[in-house]
Amino acid sequence: MPARGAVMAELRYLRAVNQALDDAMAADPSVVLFGEDVGEAGGSFGVTRGLRDRYGPGRVRDTPISEATIAGAAVGAALSGLKPVIEIMFMDFTTLVMDAMVNQAAKAHFMFGGQGSVPMVLRTPHGGGLGAGPQHSQCLEAWFAHVPGLKVVCPADPVSAYGLLRAAIDDPDPVIVVENKALYAMKVEAPERLEAIPIGKASIVRPGRDVSIVAYGAAVKTARDAAERLASDGVEAEVIDLRSLQPWDEAAVLASLSGTHRLVIVHEAVEAFGVGGEIAARMADIGFDELDGPIVRVGAPFMPVPFSRALESAYQPSVERVVAAVRRTLE
Amino acid sequence: MAASAIVMPKLGLTMTEGLLASWRVAPGDRVRNGDVLFVVETEKIATEIEAQGDGRIETIEVAAGATVPVGAVVATWSGGGAAAAVPEATPEAAPVASQPRSSGGERIVATPLARRLARDAGVPLATLVGGGPRGRIRARDVEAAIAARAAAPATSDAPAAGDRRAATGMEKTVARRMAQAKQTIPHFYVLAEADVTELLKLRDDLNAMEGLTRISINHLVMAAVGRAIVRMPEINVVWDEDAVVQLAGSDVGMAVDSGRGLFAPVVRDAGGRSLDALARDVDALVARARTGQLSGDDLAGGAIAVSNVGMHGASHLVPIINPGQSAILGVAAIKPVFRPDANAQPTLCREIGLVLACDHRVHNGVAAARFLDCVTGILQHPLSLLRG
Amino acid sequence: MEGVATVTTRPSGELNVSGAPDAAGLLDLYGQMVLIRRCEERLGALFADGEVPGFIHLSIGQEAVSVGVMSALRRDDTIASTHRGHGHAIAKGLPLEGFFLELLARDEGLCRGRGGSMHVADTSVGMLGANGIVGAGLPIALGSALAHQQLGRDAVAVAFFGDGALAEGVVHECFNLARLWNLPLLFVCENNGWSEFLPSSKQIAFKLGELSAAFGLPHVAVDGNDVAAVAAAAADVVGKVRAGGPAVLECVTARMRGHFEGDAQKYRNPDEIARLAERDPVGIAARQLLKTGIDEAELTEVAETVERRVEAAVAAARGGRDPDFEAAKAGVYARAGGGHG
Ligand SMILES: Cc1ncc(C[n+]2csc(CCOP(=O)(O)OP(=O)(O)O)c2C)c(N)n1
Ligand SMILES: [Mg+2]
Repeated sequence: MPARGAVMAELRYLRAVNQALDDAMAADPSVVLFGEDVGEAGGSFGVTRGLRDRYGPGRVRDTPISEATIAGAAVGAALSGLKPVIEIMFMDFTTLVMDAMVNQAAKAHFMFGGQGSVPMVLRTPHGGGLGAGPQHSQCLEAWFAHVPGLKVVCPADPVSAYGLLRAAIDDPDPVIVVENKALYAMKVEAPERLEAIPIGKASIVRPGRDVSIVAYGAAVKTARDAAERLASDGVEAEVIDLRSLQPWDEAAVLASLSGTHRLVIVHEAVEAFGVGGEIAARMADIGFDELDGPIVRVGAPFMPVPFSRALESAYQPSVERVVAAVRRTLE
Repeated sequence: MAASAIVMPKLGLTMTEGLLASWRVAPGDRVRNGDVLFVVETEKIATEIEAQGDGRIETIEVAAGATVPVGAVVATWSGGGAAAAVPEATPEAAPVASQPRSSGGERIVATPLARRLARDAGVPLATLVGGGPRGRIRARDVEAAIAARAAAPATSDAPAAGDRRAATGMEKTVARRMAQAKQTIPHFYVLAEADVTELLKLRDDLNAMEGLTRISINHLVMAAVGRAIVRMPEINVVWDEDAVVQLAGSDVGMAVDSGRGLFAPVVRDAGGRSLDALARDVDALVARARTGQLSGDDLAGGAIAVSNVGMHGASHLVPIINPGQSAILGVAAIKPVFRPDANAQPTLCREIGLVLACDHRVHNGVAAARFLDCVTGILQHPLSLLRG
Repeated sequence: MEGVATVTTRPSGELNVSGAPDAAGLLDLYGQMVLIRRCEERLGALFADGEVPGFIHLSIGQEAVSVGVMSALRRDDTIASTHRGHGHAIAKGLPLEGFFLELLARDEGLCRGRGGSMHVADTSVGMLGANGIVGAGLPIALGSALAHQQLGRDAVAVAFFGDGALAEGVVHECFNLARLWNLPLLFVCENNGWSEFLPSSKQIAFKLGELSAAFGLPHVAVDGNDVAAVAAAAADVVGKVRAGGPAVLECVTARMRGHFEGDAQKYRNPDEIARLAERDPVGIAARQLLKTGIDEAELTEVAETVERRVEAAVAAARGGRDPDFEAAKAGVYARAGGGHG
């Protein structure tokens, strides 16, 4: 509750992304935006609204529907002095940017022996819950996190949406910023200052002693809700918002596991071969002697994202599933 | 010869899956008819599964510790005939794939943290009992053991010196189940002495009739407990994972030391059958236990069991409830004692010490005392036992 | 592209080709072609001896394209190259020793032994990399042109690609976008008639001129084996690109070797291979020079100078170190840190 009747400003996720772009463009004239409908229309989700008017059609460019070239051009532009921020309208469409991201952006710094780098950002929304169906809902971040040379962040709230995007734009390497469609409307009390949040650092959003729940993106909220539910049964879960997936904050997860000895990993992406699998494998290795129960993942089942609300709500990780997973670690 | 399958046998009507507790053979081993291949644990029993012919073990498909459905292939062998006790193989059943595959053999299941704590504290894991799934030893089990050791009078930490031998699979199973029962069931006890003067007389009278089944005190106690259950069916309940299960009938279990391990076969309808029928059943079960022929069904059911050590002179036996049941009556030796009669004059009585151990999750002291009183009453006025 | 591989006539593009180099200029171009030729031959030999790891695609027969186009570029102009990129790299001015050190996978190589033949780059001379992915250079050059335009530089970007690459989707995306944004981008198609082991006529259903026209891009076709012609055409078209908007330069040339070193070319008509010598761009330039009055001795001197330079570079490359694994592993990111990779 705001003190003394003051009206607290609120910050929405969508607005935070817009603000980060705005501030970055104001701070550095080499930052340019391009993508489908990011200019005149202000973005399919409204993320880039107002920026074309402020920075002109040269720095905020509408592109045709040419994802491979949008991403490939970002690589070339980044190698030639710009800091491009491109938008791929839905993460599902990143299938079409794979060569540019995987073979070009990710490798240039390494395969050119350290000459130059590719300071580009690819922003794209993932996630379901909106009935968008199998080709407009996928969470494909693990693909990118698998590629050496790429960085991947996934903000779970407006403050990190701002902070991680600023850090991504400042970063000399290619960064995939995965936003979540369902979070665009999320709002929080605006903090006094918005600032960059370092890539690779997790945040403990709820301390606890009994079990560590690691999550990212929209799953952070699910994990928090599960923690509240568990607290009423006397189980204190520590919830960690990973924030960055590549690099991810191994030290923070290990430190938490060393306190709780139990680990649950939650994400909206398909569970099999995912980010959770990587975290589990690393903790089973470096955190082996800390474990007092199985590491349990909660992710989507091995199936495409379904359309019907009845199907999709069963598909997405739920508070109940997280609670059940925590209980398994406590057996 | 082509390899054929050895499957998880169905060891009783109601058995749907079994825990493959341990392997006695390894791939490549030659086996003869009757050799023990592996041990299966169901709810109630560990059963040794024997080869049904001569042959060679080819592969082991299911690791010790895994639970697989009845009919699942647990191993392959080249040998004569079908393998093991194999009724009703269900071909579609497959081993539970998500169980870890290890090289078989006994291994202690413990979490990494528990292992580290135990190592640091010098507590041998083998001396611990796990409270987790599959008997997994968790940190809290180790911590409890460390705390218990700290609280115990100062003795050497090391287990007693002496000849060590590895426990058999059966011994380990019994050990684990007993420890688990003692640790997880909140026991309480009610004690009574029953005057069995009349009971002994009845037994002797019955046994004086030639050609009929010999009746023992044990038979009579089993019958008394059965009849008491009929009178107090509310006592015939068990605790099952947050549920209270009311059992029908008046089945009564009994502890049998088979010489191969401890078993608790169950006599059906002990409250409703004639003494003769009951005695025949009891004797048959004991014989099957001694020869290792108990089936899963023999061991299923019953809330209450009887453990009788009367022949060994103890004054009381404070028993441990069998896992899956809720009470057990410890029966001790018959002792001559003087009791005051109605005129406060000492009279010679023959008494038997009874201890009823109860699971406090489903029983309370009053009900337990009433039930024990009921049993005592029947034993003291045994003619009611003759009514079927 | 029916019959294109046999076209030897001068082009008749929509743009006016003028300003062929004078004798001194031609001698200079000739020297660069001889340098590329000698480097390629030397690499072929080193490859056969097992000194060059991986596999290499030589540009022998196509030197006039690299040399001619690059003669029209400045140091701050950028290029994106292909799998057959040695000629582009050398003509763009990569240091020869660094180039050989890289091809011999040495730590002192331009890419520290991490890239090799298909990834040679030198951003300091605007060479944004050879590329192992057919067609991938086009969007990169397009982005580079975008940067030139956006940052107000009057530099141009050049995308080199083969005729086989015309079948890749990004070609069409890039033609469209370059026109749409009027980028300072020159598309150079090295039409050598082959795409690996198939004639490109069996893969490409359209003519590049017509495709260019469809996108509103000026298209110039030139005899890619005549360095003077390429240089003249490039000077003209690059000037126009620099002044205002994208264009396509099609250099009709010939691949004188196999697709990669070790390719026995069983799929190729022996007559075609036999006739390749007539079209050798180095020979064509030599004959042109002799006609202008330059004598054999001067050409021999060029060859000897080149020989010394190449042998020095090879010797230096052989003396290089093996790269250090830990250093390479630490070189994945420009700013590493955090997490586990
Ligand atoms: C995306 C992709 N597909 C296929 C290949 C394999 N490949 C390498 S070179 C080549 C032929 C390319 O022909 P062209 O573009 O005409 O170049 P040229 O070899 O004739 O110089 C092919 C198919 C590749 N490297 N990249
Ligand atoms: Mg070709």
